Amino acid sequence: MITVNGRDFPWEEGLTVEKLLQQKGYTFPAIVVIINGNPVPEDEFYKTKISDGAEVKAIHLIAGG
Amino acid sequence: MQKEQILQAHKLLGKFDYQLGSLERGYSDRTLYVNLSTNEIAEKPVSLETKEKFIGGRGYGLKLLWDGVSGTTKWNDPENELIIAPGPVCGITQYPGTGKSYVVGLSPLTQTVMDSNVGGYFGPLLKFSGWDALEIQGKAERDVVVVIDGNLGTVRIEEAPLEEINSHLLIEQLTEIYADTEEDKANISVITAGDAAEHTLIGLLNFSFYDKSRQAVRIKQAGRGGFGTVFRDKKIKGIVVKFLGVKGNLNHPADIGVLNKTGIKLHKEIATLDDSQNKMRKIGTTYLMKIMNDYDILPVRNFKYGSDPEAVNLSSDAFCKYFNLTGHDGCWYGCTLSCAKVIESFKLKTGPYLGTEVIVDAPEYETIAGVGSVCGIFDPEFVIECNFYCDTYGIDTISFGTLMGFIMESYESGVINEEVTGGLQLNFGNSSAALEVLHQMGQGVGFGKIAGLGVRRMKQFFVDNYGADPSFLNDIGMEAKGLEFSEYVSKESLAQQGGYGLTNKGPQHDEAWLIFMDMVNNQLPTFEDKAEALHYFPMFRTWFSLLGLCKLPWNDISPANNRTTDEPAKIPEHVQNYLDLYTGVTGKQIDVKEMIRQSEVVYNFQRVFNLRMGFGTREHDRIPYRAMGPVTVEEYESRAERYDQQLQQFLNIDPSEKNSEEKVQILRNYREDQYQQLVDSVYHRRGWNKQGIPTLETVQRLGIDFNDLVQLIQEKSE
Amino acid sequence: MRKLLTKEELCTGCGACEQTCSQTYFKENNREKSTIRITDNEGIKITVCSQCGSCIDICSANAIYRDKSGVVRIKKDLCVGCLACVGFCPEGAMFQHNELLEPIKCVACGNCVKQCPTAAIALEK
Repeated sequence: MITVNGRDFPWEEGLTVEKLLQQKGYTFPAIVVIINGNPVPEDEFYKTKISDGAEVKAIHLIAGG
Repeated sequence: MQKEQILQAHKLLGKFDYQLGSLERGYSDRTLYVNLSTNEIAEKPVSLETKEKFIGGRGYGLKLLWDGVSGTTKWNDPENELIIAPGPVCGITQYPGTGKSYVVGLSPLTQTVMDSNVGGYFGPLLKFSGWDALEIQGKAERDVVVVIDGNLGTVRIEEAPLEEINSHLLIEQLTEIYADTEEDKANISVITAGDAAEHTLIGLLNFSFYDKSRQAVRIKQAGRGGFGTVFRDKKIKGIVVKFLGVKGNLNHPADIGVLNKTGIKLHKEIATLDDSQNKMRKIGTTYLMKIMNDYDILPVRNFKYGSDPEAVNLSSDAFCKYFNLTGHDGCWYGCTLSCAKVIESFKLKTGPYLGTEVIVDAPEYETIAGVGSVCGIFDPEFVIECNFYCDTYGIDTISFGTLMGFIMESYESGVINEEVTGGLQLNFGNSSAALEVLHQMGQGVGFGKIAGLGVRRMKQFFVDNYGADPSFLNDIGMEAKGLEFSEYVSKESLAQQGGYGLTNKGPQHDEAWLIFMDMVNNQLPTFEDKAEALHYFPMFRTWFSLLGLCKLPWNDISPANNRTTDEPAKIPEHVQNYLDLYTGVTGKQIDVKEMIRQSEVVYNFQRVFNLRMGFGTREHDRIPYRAMGPVTVEEYESRAERYDQQLQQFLNIDPSEKNSEEKVQILRNYREDQYQQLVDSVYHRRGWNKQGIPTLETVQRLGIDFNDLVQLIQEKSE
Repeated sequence: MRKLLTKEELCTGCGACEQTCSQTYFKENNREKSTIRITDNEGIKITVCSQCGSCIDICSANAIYRDKSGVVRIKKDLCVGCLACVGFCPEGAMFQHNELLEPIKCVACGNCVKQCPTAAIALEK
């Protein structure tokens, strides 16, 4: 189990940042991803693996109305 | 009709010659007063105390209105005022989004003080003509135009019988009439409303600017609150300002170098980054449609749902096909964020202008969601046609959309029927019926007259006349304080519920837009966090209303390194830009703390103003349950997994042991209680008592402990 | 099309062009008021308008146009000093000075060409 933005989310073997964003339906183009306090560069989303028990933050930088 | 013919029919009712002055560090220190009952026109000085406490823009509007009306003034009494005030930074040309002004007055919808922001050239040109605000009181006997010439130093009230009322024709007429040459048109801005503003309570004001590239007059809107209705009630057909000579230093800023440097920096930022961020220059605010739909927060069918498979037909791609772009679609000089998209030629399919090709100031996100997905209509050409007619008839697309959603749900639930609607089958999705209602509003006939009352009065009307169940209507009627909700689904974000419910004016998102921070990013987990956000963001955004600034360049573009800052949601570098602009114009150094304090003064004053008008306490901060959670079983089941999980997680209830009706009620009790707890936290953070009235300590701290204000607070506090 | 051509490899950074330009238009020897700029950060760069015309469509006051010889010019009386052109110029060749309300750019008058000792700049007609 990992947490994403403080909420539990199931972990699976081979989970990458890109896959996680897909599973969460996070399609917004400007998301800052931080794993256990370490930011992940956007161009490395596809290859950065997330380990079991990790604390992941996916902060959407959206302005809104 | 010829210009000469129209002008010949004008009759001069009042004239005022004034000394042209110059602005000093963003201010002229005088306001213009026009009384349409007596035709009195006068110059009023701004006191130092007013300037220091109220800063400008909305602040000036509130102060002038407070002094002009009493606690019992009604929106359609002659004493009600329409005040237009720019603000000290308004009118600089170097930085994007510096042409805004605020309209303030008593609203027909909320019956208390309302404020509405608007772009276009009127605010800056009014300022350069020598005025920190325009204050209109009284009512004319017959339709008039008020004309301010900032080069000659004259103000005139002229009876204007022959001009059109509907905006798309009137703006061209007035610009044509008062311009000396084709080139001169760029020096004119006009304010107009339209036919439907007379027949409904949801009237808006259009503020124009001349688009040289397209040789056409275009408009921005002071949309919310019904000011178009007040305008027409006063028999104002148009207000015209004319000023030749716009330059970047007209505010006589303390340090123009700061303005130049900061402006160039932001222009460069937009030039290099907009395309990889929101693409405002290409698609305007339509970029929000897909995001809202993907994240299940697009209002669909009267806010029942958050997404729809057909929503893709209203995406930015769908609308971009119609947009015609130039390199400068801003609503004031120098706005390179350029969000004011336009459709140069659209052939109308319905209504009095059927078959004509018109220019449409292209749909914003709010309009697309409001008249589109809220009504279950996913046809972009319907949205464009509706946008056009709302603009020319002078009514707010947000209120129109949200009230139509209410009507459609009432119709589908059997609260009203074809007999009531005069044969219109107002199901969700029926675009031709929706347009028919709009045209009826334009003519003041049929069901359109009832619809034009707005959601609050319609609920009462349906209860009184058709035996409707008031509690159901109160649940689904998306209004608070009498104003229709703007187009974001707050259901799953307690912070946004506060962002809508705890506003001064009503549920407009210009105070706080916290949905993602709360719902998705989960950055506001505790009541304290939410209360802090519901203090900071409304105060931060209020500040823009004092200065004449547009919020879009604040966070719809961000610097490349923004994501590495401590609080990226605040866009710290841009906050500093605004502090620098303030210093550059006024010469005064301020920090964020002072910025917030300046806003708190005006915000709390507005809260007490509501109190004075008979509102401003806790019960008026309620919101309909549709904005908080699933009203019906149908809604619950559309998100059953999420809601069941919440029952389990927060209430230790096993969802399999309850039926849907029970689950709806359990969740409802929980959420309503959560909201009340949020209200407690926010009142505490804002320095208000449990009733939501600013405490004596708060008004003293903010220097608004005027005698009448203190007396009022003491009378109303338990 | 009339415009300035540059050969950076011939430029010695003497600054005669900058001097001539600011002298011509502002009666001052002040490189901050020159519309040709020579910089040297690990190699000499000549920044001067290529008359590409990107600024024409950016101008919110419709104050920028291309004249009969192809030179891009600013109508000072229409310019409102928004500086969007300065921010958007792809070459950084639109310049701004705090004493001036309107930005300045090269109009290919050729005065600087006459003063360049190494023929690093030339006028194309």
